[in-house]
Amino acid sequence: MALLNIIGAVTHALDSEMERDKTVVVYGEDVGYEGGVFRATVGLQKKYGVDRCFDTPLSEAAIVGTAIGMAINGMKPVVEIQFDGFVLPALNQIIAHAARMRNRSRGKYNLPMVIRMPYGGGIRALEHHSESPEAIFAHIPGLKVVIPSTPYDTKGLLLAAIRDPDPVIFLEPKRIYRAFKQEVPEEDYTVPIGKAKIVKSGEDITVVAWGALIREVQKAIEEVEKEGISVELIDLRTISPIDRETIIESVKKTGRFLVVHEAVKSFGPGAELISIVNEKAFLYLEAPPTRLAGFDVTVPLPRGEHHFIIEPRQIAKKIKEVVEF
Amino acid sequence: MFEFKFADIGEGIHEGVLLKWFVKEGDTVKEGDSLFLVETDKVNAEIPSPVSGKINKLLADVGETIHVGNTVVIIDDGGENNKVDSKNEPLSEDEKGAGVVGQIEVSSEVIESSDEGKQEEKKGKTKVLATPVARKLAKDLGIDINLVKGTGPAGRVMKEDIYAYKERKEKKLEVSQDAKETDVFIQPVGATFLRPEVKREEIKVYGEVERVPISRIRKTISENMVLSKSVIPHTSVMDDFDVTELVKLRTEQKEMARERGINLTYMPFIIKALTIALKEFPVFNSSFDDIKDEIIYKKYYNIGIATDTPDGLMVPVLKEANNKGILEIAKELEGLVERARNKTIGIEELYGGTFTITNYGALGSSYGVPVIRYPEVAILGIGKIDKKPVVMNDEIVIRHMMPVSLSIDHRIIDGGDAGRFLLRLKELLSNPMLLLLS
Repeated sequence: MALLNIIGAVTHALDSEMERDKTVVVYGEDVGYEGGVFRATVGLQKKYGVDRCFDTPLSEAAIVGTAIGMAINGMKPVVEIQFDGFVLPALNQIIAHAARMRNRSRGKYNLPMVIRMPYGGGIRALEHHSESPEAIFAHIPGLKVVIPSTPYDTKGLLLAAIRDPDPVIFLEPKRIYRAFKQEVPEEDYTVPIGKAKIVKSGEDITVVAWGALIREVQKAIEEVEKEGISVELIDLRTISPIDRETIIESVKKTGRFLVVHEAVKSFGPGAELISIVNEKAFLYLEAPPTRLAGFDVTVPLPRGEHHFIIEPRQIAKKIKEVVEF
Repeated sequence: MFEFKFADIGEGIHEGVLLKWFVKEGDTVKEGDSLFLVETDKVNAEIPSPVSGKINKLLADVGETIHVGNTVVIIDDGGENNKVDSKNEPLSEDEKGAGVVGQIEVSSEVIESSDEGKQEEKKGKTKVLATPVARKLAKDLGIDINLVKGTGPAGRVMKEDIYAYKERKEKKLEVSQDAKETDVFIQPVGATFLRPEVKREEIKVYGEVERVPISRIRKTISENMVLSKSVIPHTSVMDDFDVTELVKLRTEQKEMARERGINLTYMPFIIKALTIALKEFPVFNSSFDDIKDEIIYKKYYNIGIATDTPDGLMVPVLKEANNKGILEIAKELEGLVERARNKTIGIEELYGGTFTITNYGALGSSYGVPVIRYPEVAILGIGKIDKKPVVMNDEIVIRHMMPVSLSIDHRIIDGGDAGRFLLRLKELLSNPMLLLLS
């Protein structure tokens, strides 16, 4: 059992899976020699050689395209896109090919590949470094989209993603890469993809969040609990496919639903979650299912970013609004 | 003192050119304020201060190349000589988090271990089913919807259920305020009518008693009576009919009927007269739907006959009395009453009545205030036919008089209507030949 932060859990998971499975290869921009800009792949090239952990040209389309080729030939590539905003040149490869290969080949080929990328704001960064693109990927049939919020889940979900027979988009909340540590077992384990986690059970309202916002919601919960509001917090963990069952069961119990995400509001993941709640738990609702999400703007540059980032006090206010509806 | 070192800013950058200082020695800075602008081979980045304090010394000049690990500025943060390059405790090389493209929070705070796979059992608190509009309604009315019993699909609480619950609650409140010993409230039954229920305190007894459970029939009678009296505002009108001619006719025809095996009573004549009057006064053959505020006029005439049986009151129904002759009615009536008394009557023979006659005269009474059979709107009580001295043409004569009592639902039938209806019956029964002509 080691105390690891999320970045450490990524490294540990990649290391243990490269050791276990010789078909796993890890690459991307600055991934090899430098060990990645966030140091997620530190030491892997040294340990497994340049054939299994290496740097690539600055071409995200090539990174994903070659991964498709490797995966179709029986390897398990785990590629890193340096920042969420850099993935855009690779969307053609991801959407037009990776997501469709199983269907296109009528089930003959599947692509066991993982595309990792840090995502989300709150780190006072530049353009293309702060976005939350989970809905873009979740909208594409054939892709799984996973976002961990703790070191434990990071290892378990990353191992599950690498072993998954189909492409998995693995979004890492960079804001909390090093924000806290948690016990992460040395031994092998996976956290199932498609299964949300009830972080905290409660009676009055169901709050769904993921990634870096889990911690922010937890801070908000501390506030509202002082006023006697009992919150059930669900960490979605997998954006697609959504764990409908856990959410519906929870809303049937609490009768109220709030989804909090940093991704921009319109056409965001919250819209889908609220639709599910309306469709499946309508008769239990005490208040309108509600979303607290990023404004419909490009994430602002550092000086204005605090206007965009969702803070615990906003979450607490929204929780009270829904409960007191 | 805080020595700010140019940190490993990630992206493989080891050095940068200091382009601009945003602070000078002696300035006060807050955590997050930009200290300097650095140009790397990737980007130009503003480097924020990790602490609040006073700028003590700048250790690099504009245009100078600074390397990772170089101390660039010393900030007086009020603390001891502090050589870390982050706001937290010293970190090993791989834990440096500040980046040229941003600033990542770095902390060694340990969060709770994952409880994956050992989550607690779900608690059993359940919610009633209801549409949001129903919940809103309950909230607006100040009602806890979880206390309302639903009558909709799968027990869903409907708006009607909430209204009924509210009414019941208010009734309860009213009564408890002005009458302590009884507790009356209205409970909804089905969707079309309100069913009254009377709650009472336990009956005190002051001597030896025997408690006997009531029969099913008695229970039904009891419920029907309470229902009728609670929902229908009754009123009654009474009169005496001169039935001397009818008595004469019946006496004449009795023998003839007996030869055909029919026991001819007055009842068939009364039923016949009634069907004629009901056609002329259709509201007496109706029901009042007070939910929809509509009167349901019935085009069929089924006359219920209140019958005294050993088990209690039963009301067999003579169907389509308007289409039957007097002897036919007499014959059918006899069978019905017989079957009611020996409990062989079919259930269908007890339903579908549109108007009821009760003949308490058979036991010698004259007047009564009959209770309407809900959802009918009137009932005719027949008293004992007796010879009475009456004034005719200013002379006292002896006539056969039949006392009648008519109870009506005063919500839809006025006293005037009742009077006119009785008058028509009187006319028909005083001149039985009219029965044949009608």
